[in-house]
Amino acid sequence: MLWIVGAFLLYLLWESGFFTAEAWSDFNRRFYQNFVKDDRYMMLVDGLNSTLFMTAGATVIGVVVGLILSVIRVAYKGGVHIPILNKFAEMYITVLRGTPAMVQLLIWNFTIFASARDLNTQYIAILAFGLNSGAYVAEIFRGGIESIDPGQMEAARSLGLTYGSSMRHVILPQALRNVVPMLFNEFIALLKETSIAGYIGIDDLTRAGQNIQALTLEHSQPLVMVAIIYLIMVMVLSKLVKKLEQWLSRGRR
Amino acid sequence: MKKFFALLLVLALCSCAFADGEKLKDTDQLKTERLAAQRGTVGQLIAEDLLGDKKAELLTTYEKYVDAVAALRQGKIRAVIMDEMPAKRFVNEVDGLAIMEKPLTEESYAIGFKKGNTELVSQVNKILSEMKADGTLAAIMAKYIDGDYSSVKPADIDFNKGAKGGKLYVGTEAGFAPYELKIGNGFIGIDVEMCAHIAKKLGKELAIINMNFDSLPTAVSTGKVDMICAGITVTDERKENMDFSDNYVTGAKQVALIRADDYEK
Repeated sequence: MLWIVGAFLLYLLWESGFFTAEAWSDFNRRFYQNFVKDDRYMMLVDGLNSTLFMTAGATVIGVVVGLILSVIRVAYKGGVHIPILNKFAEMYITVLRGTPAMVQLLIWNFTIFASARDLNTQYIAILAFGLNSGAYVAEIFRGGIESIDPGQMEAARSLGLTYGSSMRHVILPQALRNVVPMLFNEFIALLKETSIAGYIGIDDLTRAGQNIQALTLEHSQPLVMVAIIYLIMVMVLSKLVKKLEQWLSRGRR
Repeated sequence: MKKFFALLLVLALCSCAFADGEKLKDTDQLKTERLAAQRGTVGQLIAEDLLGDKKAELLTTYEKYVDAVAALRQGKIRAVIMDEMPAKRFVNEVDGLAIMEKPLTEESYAIGFKKGNTELVSQVNKILSEMKADGTLAAIMAKYIDGDYSSVKPADIDFNKGAKGGKLYVGTEAGFAPYELKIGNGFIGIDVEMCAHIAKKLGKELAIINMNFDSLPTAVSTGKVDMICAGITVTDERKENMDFSDNYVTGAKQVALIRADDYEK
């Protein structure tokens, strides 16, 4: 099936004169216009920097927030008496998962931080993406912890460990193994999600492509280039996750 | 499933084959055609007026002009309603486009402020009238409109860096040459140079905040930026929500950008 589609696409390209010398020189001319002339590729490099910076920052906030929230929720279920904190965590997760990241980003920038003008907008984006991601990470952590058989906790407690240390030494190490791949997938999603940062005026990778479009008035090449850069990053990260998964499941049969 | 895709493919091919009948001659024909505009621009308002109650069906708004023009070239829409100057740039740089000779409207551009910020408005108006009187404004316009502005470098524009009076935050959408355009890390354009001059006169450093056009009114009314300057047309509706400076451009034509092979002069 796939190769039929592929062959058909190739035929269409051939028919439309894609493989002629003129088409190639035109392609090269446009490529020069879009990326080489006046060092325009630097706009993409700067955009990539911004994308990576926001993703890294949001990742850190996401993990910290997610960890705190999941600990609150799991501890409450495990009998620790923190009803108010638990209610807060529940509401936080409901609200931040229940509204689109883009809407949240706009609210952070134009409503909550309306008067913060000297603040680098990237920090606002990091906060918005990080807090949003935290809600998802919390659910990932909670799922990971709850996937461990309750018998483990009972066994640890009956051996005289406190709730805290049975969590730390028995449950969490096992939960981590289940959680890490999902966590990385969340950050791959986050990397792509930062592409909406252009809405609050950040020149991230996507916006850099749009800025080149506005310069050269060419539509397809800058966007395809941006897509390729995202794809390469995601593929490399996915490979890393695979490797990590193998490493984590070493000693398992 | 395969049959479904085959059907889809056939439909797609058919829609290519049966596109467009009669060529465009007069702007009146646009009243029943699929039109596009950049979201939040006056082009959108004009298209809405043209289409009347058919606007929900026939009008598509895009975030960027480049997107609207791509849709035009692909035949998804029949015309893009936009300002003449940027439209001319598209005609010059992209193959197969034309501007319909008869303009739709003529508009004036002004700088937008938060409603009630009369102090800054009067300061800027004073500077603008000085710029008009001593020819500074005309010189900036001439640099971009008459000449080839590809030689203008962002570094040549004096942003009055490190000024004692703080920063003047100006919101813009830098995809609207020759009024504003992002090059590398910097900005050029008529609006940018004009704002740089205004900032200097105010004793402030110019800080350009580049955002989407439809975010500009929000940005200025929430105080994210002090003023917005992006070839903004003065309309009565907009006057209700923000204050405007005096016009710095008058007679800016709104035109229909169409495919050259779709135009019968």
